[in-house]
Amino acid sequence: MADDHTAAQVSPGAAEGALAYLTEMSPDLRGAAILGADGAVLAGSGHADRWREDAAALFEVADRAGEEPVEQIHIGTEQGEVFAIRHAGLAAVAVTERFALASLTFFDMRSILRDLATGGDGRAGETRADDAA
Amino acid sequence: MTPPKPHRVLLDRVSGYADEAAAYMRRRRASRRPFARLYYKGGRADDHATDSAAGGELFVAAGRLIEVAGRKAKS
Repeated sequence: MADDHTAAQVSPGAAEGALAYLTEMSPDLRGAAILGADGAVLAGSGHADRWREDAAALFEVADRAGEEPVEQIHIGTEQGEVFAIRHAGLAAVAVTERFALASLTFFDMRSILRDLATGGDGRAGETRADDAA
Repeated sequence: MTPPKPHRVLLDRVSGYADEAAAYMRRRRASRRPFARLYYKGGRADDHATDSAAGGELFVAAGRLIEVAGRKAKS
Protein backbone atom coordinates (compact mmCIF):
# COMPACT_ATOMS: atom_id res chain seq x y z
CA MET A 1 0.00 0.00 0.00
CA ALA A 2 2.74 2.44 -0.91
CA ASP A 3 2.04 6.13 -0.55
CA ASP A 4 4.08 9.29 -0.03
CA HIS A 5 2.60 10.14 3.35
CA THR A 6 2.14 8.17 6.50
CA ALA A 7 -1.20 8.32 8.20
CA ALA A 8 -1.70 8.86 11.90
CA GLN A 9 -2.44 5.74 13.90
CA VAL A 10 -6.00 4.76 13.03
CA SER A 11 -8.01 2.95 15.65
CA PRO A 12 -10.24 0.07 14.55
CA GLY A 13 -13.18 1.93 16.11
CA ALA A 14 -12.59 4.98 13.92
CA ALA A 15 -12.20 2.79 10.84
CA GLU A 16 -15.44 0.93 11.67
CA GLY A 17 -17.22 4.26 12.06
CA ALA A 18 -15.85 5.47 8.73
CA LEU A 19 -16.98 2.28 7.00
CA ALA A 20 -20.46 2.63 8.50
CA TYR A 21 -20.57 6.22 7.26
CA LEU A 22 -19.49 5.18 3.75
CA THR A 23 -22.15 2.45 3.71
CA GLU A 24 -24.76 4.96 4.84
CA MET A 25 -23.74 7.50 2.19
CA SER A 26 -23.56 5.08 -0.73
CA PRO A 27 -26.83 3.27 -1.48
CA ASP A 28 -25.17 1.27 -4.26
CA LEU A 29 -22.45 -0.11 -2.02
CA ARG A 30 -22.28 -3.91 -1.68
CA GLY A 31 -19.20 -4.10 0.51
CA ALA A 32 -16.03 -2.23 1.37
CA ALA A 33 -12.86 -2.33 3.41
CA ILE A 34 -10.41 0.18 4.83
CA LEU A 35 -6.80 -0.92 4.96
CA GLY A 36 -3.84 0.38 6.93
CA ALA A 37 -0.36 1.19 5.71
CA ASP A 38 0.76 -2.42 6.21
CA GLY A 39 -2.18 -3.74 4.20
CA ALA A 40 -4.05 -4.98 7.27
CA VAL A 41 -7.82 -4.58 7.23
CA LEU A 42 -8.82 -1.92 9.76
CA ALA A 43 -12.51 -2.37 8.96
CA GLY A 44 -14.30 -4.46 6.40
CA SER A 45 -17.64 -5.99 5.57
CA GLY A 46 -17.36 -9.76 5.65
CA HIS A 47 -14.12 -11.72 5.48
CA ALA A 48 -11.18 -9.54 6.52
CA ASP A 49 -8.60 -12.03 5.21
CA ARG A 50 -10.16 -12.11 1.77
CA TRP A 51 -10.34 -8.30 1.61
CA ARG A 52 -6.66 -8.05 2.60
CA GLU A 53 -5.47 -10.59 0.05
CA ASP A 54 -7.64 -9.47 -2.83
CA ALA A 55 -7.12 -5.74 -2.27
CA ALA A 56 -3.35 -6.28 -2.13
CA ALA A 57 -3.55 -8.30 -5.36
CA LEU A 58 -5.54 -5.55 -7.07
CA PHE A 59 -3.09 -2.80 -6.09
CA GLU A 60 -0.14 -4.99 -7.09
CA VAL A 61 -1.57 -5.68 -10.54
CA ALA A 62 -2.49 -2.02 -10.98
CA ASP A 63 0.98 -0.83 -9.96
CA ARG A 64 2.55 -3.24 -12.43
CA ALA A 65 0.33 -1.95 -15.24
CA GLY A 66 1.93 1.52 -15.16
CA GLU A 67 5.25 3.17 -14.48
CA GLU A 68 4.24 4.76 -11.17
CA PRO A 69 2.08 3.74 -8.19
CA VAL A 70 -1.59 4.05 -8.93
CA GLU A 71 -3.70 6.43 -6.88
CA GLN A 72 -7.24 5.38 -7.84
CA ILE A 73 -8.67 2.32 -9.56
CA HIS A 74 -12.09 2.00 -11.19
CA ILE A 75 -13.09 -1.25 -12.84
CA GLY A 76 -16.55 -1.80 -14.28
CA THR A 77 -17.71 -5.33 -15.02
CA GLU A 78 -21.02 -6.97 -15.80
CA GLN A 79 -21.20 -8.17 -12.19
CA GLY A 80 -20.49 -4.88 -10.45
CA GLU A 81 -17.96 -2.10 -10.09
CA VAL A 82 -14.78 -1.93 -8.04
CA PHE A 83 -13.33 1.29 -6.65
CA ALA A 84 -10.01 1.53 -4.86
CA ILE A 85 -8.14 4.56 -3.61
CA ARG A 86 -4.98 5.32 -1.67
CA HIS A 87 -4.48 8.32 0.52
CA ALA A 88 -1.87 9.13 3.16
CA GLY A 89 -0.76 5.55 3.59
CA LEU A 90 -4.32 4.26 3.93
CA ALA A 91 -6.41 2.53 1.30
CA ALA A 92 -10.09 1.93 0.75
CA VAL A 93 -11.69 -0.60 -1.56
CA ALA A 94 -15.39 -0.66 -2.39
CA VAL A 95 -17.64 -2.82 -4.53
CA THR A 96 -20.85 -1.33 -5.83
CA GLU A 97 -23.76 -2.18 -8.08
CA ARG A 98 -23.25 -1.38 -11.77
CA PHE A 99 -23.56 2.26 -12.86
CA ALA A 100 -22.75 3.71 -9.45
CA LEU A 101 -21.76 7.36 -9.69
CA ALA A 102 -17.98 7.15 -9.81
CA SER A 103 -17.13 10.73 -8.86
CA LEU A 104 -19.35 10.62 -5.77
CA THR A 105 -18.06 7.23 -4.70
CA PHE A 106 -14.44 8.36 -5.01
CA PHE A 107 -15.27 11.61 -3.22
CA ASP A 108 -16.80 9.77 -0.25
CA MET A 109 -13.92 7.28 -0.09
CA ARG A 110 -11.30 10.05 -0.26
CA SER A 111 -13.15 12.04 2.42
CA ILE A 112 -13.14 9.22 4.94
CA LEU A 113 -9.47 8.39 4.32
CA ARG A 114 -8.46 12.03 4.61
CA ASP A 115 -10.35 12.32 7.89
CA LEU A 116 -8.93 9.09 9.30
CA ALA A 117 -5.42 10.13 8.28
CA THR A 118 -5.70 13.32 10.29
CA GLY A 119 -6.89 11.50 13.40
CA GLY A 120 -10.62 11.96 12.80
CA ASP A 121 -13.35 9.38 13.02
CA GLY A 122 -13.90 9.23 9.26
CA ARG A 123 -17.22 11.02 9.46
CA ALA A 124 -15.99 14.50 8.52
CA GLY A 125 -18.61 14.85 5.82
CA GLU A 126 -21.36 14.20 8.33
CA THR A 127 -19.98 16.83 10.71
CA ARG A 128 -19.85 19.41 7.92
CA ALA A 129 -23.39 18.57 6.83
CA ASP A 130 -24.63 18.91 10.41
CA ASP A 131 -22.85 22.25 10.80
CA ALA A 132 -24.42 23.54 7.61
CA ALA A 133 -27.93 22.50 8.69
CA MET B 1 -56.74 31.66 -26.18
CA THR B 2 -55.19 32.13 -22.75
CA PRO B 3 -51.47 31.60 -22.24
CA PRO B 4 -50.47 28.62 -20.06
CA LYS B 5 -50.06 29.34 -16.37
CA PRO B 6 -46.42 30.06 -15.41
CA HIS B 7 -46.16 27.03 -13.13
CA ARG B 8 -47.27 24.80 -16.03
CA VAL B 9 -44.41 26.13 -18.15
CA LEU B 10 -41.97 25.39 -15.33
CA LEU B 11 -43.35 21.89 -14.77
CA ASP B 12 -43.19 21.10 -18.49
CA ARG B 13 -39.60 22.26 -18.62
CA VAL B 14 -38.59 20.19 -15.57
CA SER B 15 -40.29 17.08 -16.89
CA GLY B 16 -38.57 17.67 -20.24
CA TYR B 17 -35.17 17.70 -18.54
CA ALA B 18 -36.12 14.57 -16.56
CA ASP B 19 -37.08 12.77 -19.79
CA GLU B 20 -33.77 13.77 -21.36
CA ALA B 21 -31.84 12.53 -18.32
CA ALA B 22 -33.73 9.22 -18.30
CA ALA B 23 -33.02 8.71 -22.01
CA TYR B 24 -29.33 9.49 -21.43
CA MET B 25 -29.16 6.91 -18.62
CA ARG B 26 -30.87 4.29 -20.84
CA ARG B 27 -28.37 4.92 -23.64
CA ARG B 28 -25.49 4.80 -21.17
CA ARG B 29 -26.64 1.44 -19.75
CA ALA B 30 -27.03 -0.03 -23.22
CA SER B 31 -23.67 1.16 -24.52
CA ARG B 32 -21.43 0.78 -21.48
CA ARG B 33 -18.87 -2.00 -21.78
CA PRO B 34 -16.56 -3.39 -19.08
CA PHE B 35 -13.59 -1.12 -18.45
CA ALA B 36 -10.50 -0.83 -16.25
CA ARG B 37 -9.28 2.68 -15.55
CA LEU B 38 -6.26 3.61 -13.44
CA TYR B 39 -5.67 7.12 -12.13
CA TYR B 40 -2.29 8.56 -11.20
CA LYS B 41 -1.07 11.63 -9.37
CA GLY B 42 -1.77 14.78 -11.31
CA GLY B 43 -5.02 13.45 -12.69
CA ARG B 44 -3.55 11.29 -15.45
CA ALA B 45 -5.69 8.24 -16.28
CA ASP B 46 -4.99 5.09 -18.28
CA ASP B 47 -7.57 2.71 -19.71
CA HIS B 48 -6.74 -0.96 -20.07
CA ALA B 49 -8.61 -3.04 -22.60
CA THR B 50 -10.19 -6.30 -21.49
CA ASP B 51 -8.06 -8.24 -23.97
CA SER B 52 -4.73 -6.72 -22.88
CA ALA B 53 -2.47 -8.56 -20.40
CA ALA B 54 -2.81 -5.88 -17.70
CA GLY B 55 -6.53 -5.51 -18.34
CA GLY B 56 -7.08 -9.24 -17.98
CA GLU B 57 -5.26 -9.30 -14.63
CA LEU B 58 -7.20 -6.27 -13.40
CA PHE B 59 -10.53 -7.91 -14.26
CA VAL B 60 -9.53 -11.11 -12.47
CA ALA B 61 -8.53 -9.14 -9.35
CA ALA B 62 -11.75 -7.11 -9.51
CA GLY B 63 -13.81 -10.29 -9.92
CA ARG B 64 -12.35 -11.66 -6.68
CA LEU B 65 -13.27 -8.48 -4.81
CA ILE B 66 -16.81 -8.58 -6.21
CA GLU B 67 -17.04 -12.14 -4.93
CA VAL B 68 -15.84 -11.07 -1.46
CA ALA B 69 -18.36 -8.25 -1.28
CA GLY B 70 -21.20 -10.57 -2.23
CA ARG B 71 -24.64 -9.46 -3.22
CA LYS B 72 -26.34 -6.49 -1.67
CA ALA B 73 -29.00 -7.47 0.85
CA LYS B 74 -32.48 -6.53 -0.30
CA SER B 75 -33.80 -3.71 1.87
